[in-house]
Amino acid sequence: MARLIRTEKEVEGRYEEVWTVVEEDALDQWPAGPLEVVGQPAQRQDGLQRARGEARYTADVRLPGMLHAAVLRSGVARADARAIDVLPALELPGVQAALSCEEVDFLDAEAGYPGAAVAAVAADTIEQARAGVEAIAVEWDESEPLLDPDEAIARGQLVSESSSYERGDLEAALAGADVVVEAEYRTQSVLHNSMETHQAVCHWEGDTLVVHISTQYIWGVRDELAEKLGLRPDDVRVVCEFMGGGFGAKNGAGDYSLIAAELSRRTGRPVRCALTRREENLAAGNRNATIQRLRAGARSDGTIVGLGGEFVNAVGWSGWLAGTDGPMQMLYGVDNVATMLRGAKLNSAPMAAFRAPGFVEGTFGLECLLDELGGKLGIDPLELRRRNHADADVLDGRPYSSKSLLECYRRAEPHWDRRHEVRARSDETWKHGVGLASQVWYGGGGPPSYAWVRVGSDGSMTVVTAMQDIGTGSRTAMAQIAAEELGVSLAQVRVELGDSARGPFASISAGSSTIPSMGPAVRSAAGDARRQILELAAQRWQKEQRTLSLKGGRIVCSDGGSWPLESLLGLLEDAQILGMGARGPNPTGMRVLTFGVQVAEVAVDVGTGEIRVGRIAAIHDVGRIINPLGARSQVEGGIIQALGHTLSEHRLLDPRTGTVLTQTLDAYKLPTIADVPEIVCEFVDEPDSHLTNLGAKGLGEPPIIPTAAAIANAIRDATGADVRSLPIDREEMLRALAALARAKERSGDRVAARPA
Amino acid sequence: MEVLTPRSLDEALSVKAERPDARPIAGGTDLLVELNFDRARPETLLNLNEVPELRGWSRENGTLRLGSGLTYAEAMRAPLAELVPALAEASRTVGSPQIRTRGTLGGNLGTASPAGDALPPLLVEGAQVELGSLRGVRSLPLSEFLVGPKRNALEPDELVLAVRLLPSAQPQTFMKVGPRNAMVIAVCSLALVADRERGELRAAYGSSGPVVGLVTAPLEERDHFADTVAAAASPIDDVRGTAIYRRHALRVLAERAMERCLA
Repeated sequence: MARLIRTEKEVEGRYEEVWTVVEEDALDQWPAGPLEVVGQPAQRQDGLQRARGEARYTADVRLPGMLHAAVLRSGVARADARAIDVLPALELPGVQAALSCEEVDFLDAEAGYPGAAVAAVAADTIEQARAGVEAIAVEWDESEPLLDPDEAIARGQLVSESSSYERGDLEAALAGADVVVEAEYRTQSVLHNSMETHQAVCHWEGDTLVVHISTQYIWGVRDELAEKLGLRPDDVRVVCEFMGGGFGAKNGAGDYSLIAAELSRRTGRPVRCALTRREENLAAGNRNATIQRLRAGARSDGTIVGLGGEFVNAVGWSGWLAGTDGPMQMLYGVDNVATMLRGAKLNSAPMAAFRAPGFVEGTFGLECLLDELGGKLGIDPLELRRRNHADADVLDGRPYSSKSLLECYRRAEPHWDRRHEVRARSDETWKHGVGLASQVWYGGGGPPSYAWVRVGSDGSMTVVTAMQDIGTGSRTAMAQIAAEELGVSLAQVRVELGDSARGPFASISAGSSTIPSMGPAVRSAAGDARRQILELAAQRWQKEQRTLSLKGGRIVCSDGGSWPLESLLGLLEDAQILGMGARGPNPTGMRVLTFGVQVAEVAVDVGTGEIRVGRIAAIHDVGRIINPLGARSQVEGGIIQALGHTLSEHRLLDPRTGTVLTQTLDAYKLPTIADVPEIVCEFVDEPDSHLTNLGAKGLGEPPIIPTAAAIANAIRDATGADVRSLPIDREEMLRALAALARAKERSGDRVAARPA
Repeated sequence: MEVLTPRSLDEALSVKAERPDARPIAGGTDLLVELNFDRARPETLLNLNEVPELRGWSRENGTLRLGSGLTYAEAMRAPLAELVPALAEASRTVGSPQIRTRGTLGGNLGTASPAGDALPPLLVEGAQVELGSLRGVRSLPLSEFLVGPKRNALEPDELVLAVRLLPSAQPQTFMKVGPRNAMVIAVCSLALVADRERGELRAAYGSSGPVVGLVTAPLEERDHFADTVAAAASPIDDVRGTAIYRRHALRVLAERAMERCLA
């Protein structure tokens, strides 16, 4: 039965209290451990389709008569677009329509960052559209850009109200501490660079707007476009069958879909608006840079008594305050914590959520600070983390729905114990070391989410839900869940998704929520179908329904009898069994979080500053694992993406003009396969007994969170140098080594001179 | 855009004489980037991939002749790799396997970028560049061929035919610093020969000045040589690194290269 309740909803660490309709979650959890299908490694059901190029991405959508849109963007960091004249564009061959910020409200004449869109042209070919954009006459009224985050804060240029948090009395705690450390950490702005750039193809079927879009949230795009275009939500149909990555940057509709929709309305033809790689690196979101001024105090026994942080997020022209302060507030059982988080409004591109926004940045600062503290205390980093473990949620004392961080630490021990052997490999040039870092994140998902299961007389089972698979393999995981519940093989189940007109509401694929939000709904739908199958079976073979179950493709009776499933389903002919399922509520009064620890082994060339990461062991606690193979992919992907922001990725701005210097993958250095270390991946794989019918949490984000700090801590272990700024490129590494040499000279401790 | 594909060297030189604006293309690993980035819009491309005379390498009286169409993948293979080991090492650091299979020595010479990976190893081996046109063939020392950043001594009607060098058969190496482990343009690079026969150290640095630069010194000056190399370079700050870092890294690379070659 559906109930209307008041509940907390969390996405990407942002909570809000909402009214929501929830369905009872009637199914008991399965026993822990690998089952027949769930918990067994499963190759992606669409793997071959993808490898053969048969999977249709938004980038592959080519509709008859389709026009191509190109966008006029500001070339400078701060300018107003005055007197825009699109008429010269309309006179060019192939150009069918043009629009500008003077006539539509989703484009802004105040171009506050390089790449801000002010006008667009639709033409028969993309080349003609680009020529049209070139022809648009604009008077740019330029002014001095504001680029320095500290200066923006000093001037009161904020994107939103600052966020302060306090528990206990930090100043008193630090005054009474045996050891206090203080340091400033910085993280850079990095770019998502999904393989598929942001794009949409829009066309109108009567009054219905059909939108093919590369998105993480089919239903969010539907609602956002309906609202902005003044349509009823069901008059917008959103389609995304396959997607080439999003990482948080594709949670919304984006101006490109509005441009395509409006140009399509004007021309009566389908319009494709796809960002180029350069546009992607200019104006499609980024992980904002941060400055973190942190303090920690501890007693000599290792009890951390106080943590304090002043955080500045360099948000850009617009955006929201990602929780850089979150890890400091949540990771450890510390009584006295005070944080202040401010968001600088700058003439740089707006931030967008990027795989654990805020927590990646904040964990780098906090977990490095913890090792600096441990160094002064003379306490082993793993032991220091154990001693400060939070047994109940530190924000408001709620119990955790489940937490196995101590088990993660236990399993980290053999990896941590390798440090003696690793350090012993050091020579004059290469210094070796090992470091670790912990991780906390959300990832519990929530209602509402729905799924249907259709069972036909041929024995086929189809899961229908209008969710998206953003490339993580959700499609396969959903099939596994349905197959397990229906007692059939994975091959018997297919999943139809990706179309708001052809399935029920499904939640956003962000905040590590797809598995924990959608999985229970799919199991619930499959459970409903199973119940109906057994009802029919009870009638067919004159058994009590409670004595029947589905297993191995058979209907099994507790009296020993069994019948192939086909022998029942074959009787259906054109009749179908339709199961319906919904995601139940989250446990009330409990905090649902994910945890983990990573151990990194590095080697540092103290001459050139080159850093080589040799091995990373990742141990994560995300409840039940549905597909160990898919889960491993998430860990490997998260770690590799983290290697990028740790060592080489950096969106570089000209410090004077704010121009983006890294607009292509030639200048913006993503890791290559030659940079990827050995990755060892372990899961606690213990179902969260309080969370839904699955006990599974999300894993998309946790693996990217602790990697940078683990590497930086390993570098300290190898060299003694404190690296406090990302990326740790060769120059940064040498700066840290030089600072160490100076500090040692000052303290009279003579050491061999380090390079300047 | 017109693409002209000559089938012989004579034909290629005739086309170049008639159409001096035609941009030569072999592997295209530089030119296609220019086209994609809209930095160049040549009206005519001169496709040299079907000119057999430019391919491969040969040896006459000890002198090596490396065709301008020699690919990096070919330069990595024995026996050539044993004759010019520093060039083989440099070739291994170029791009990805695909780029090494397409990219040619002639491309590095034609582009004349100070970051061209093949240039320092050729410079320390005293390479001569063979240039051809309908007017005839001439030869220039590589140091004279490279006249500025992305500028060389080619006349409009000329093509790079080959590189000639007499292998020193002396210990040599190539080192490169990049922002990641593969597919990088050098932040800085260095080739070094420890020539005991001539009692000489020769080093050439890349990505540390407007052109690839050669520094020589007597073997006795080994102790100061790394400083000499760093002082000779004239690096700048750019997206890949700072001048200060480049000079520092050159000193470190030179020191290590000498350790390796003088061991």
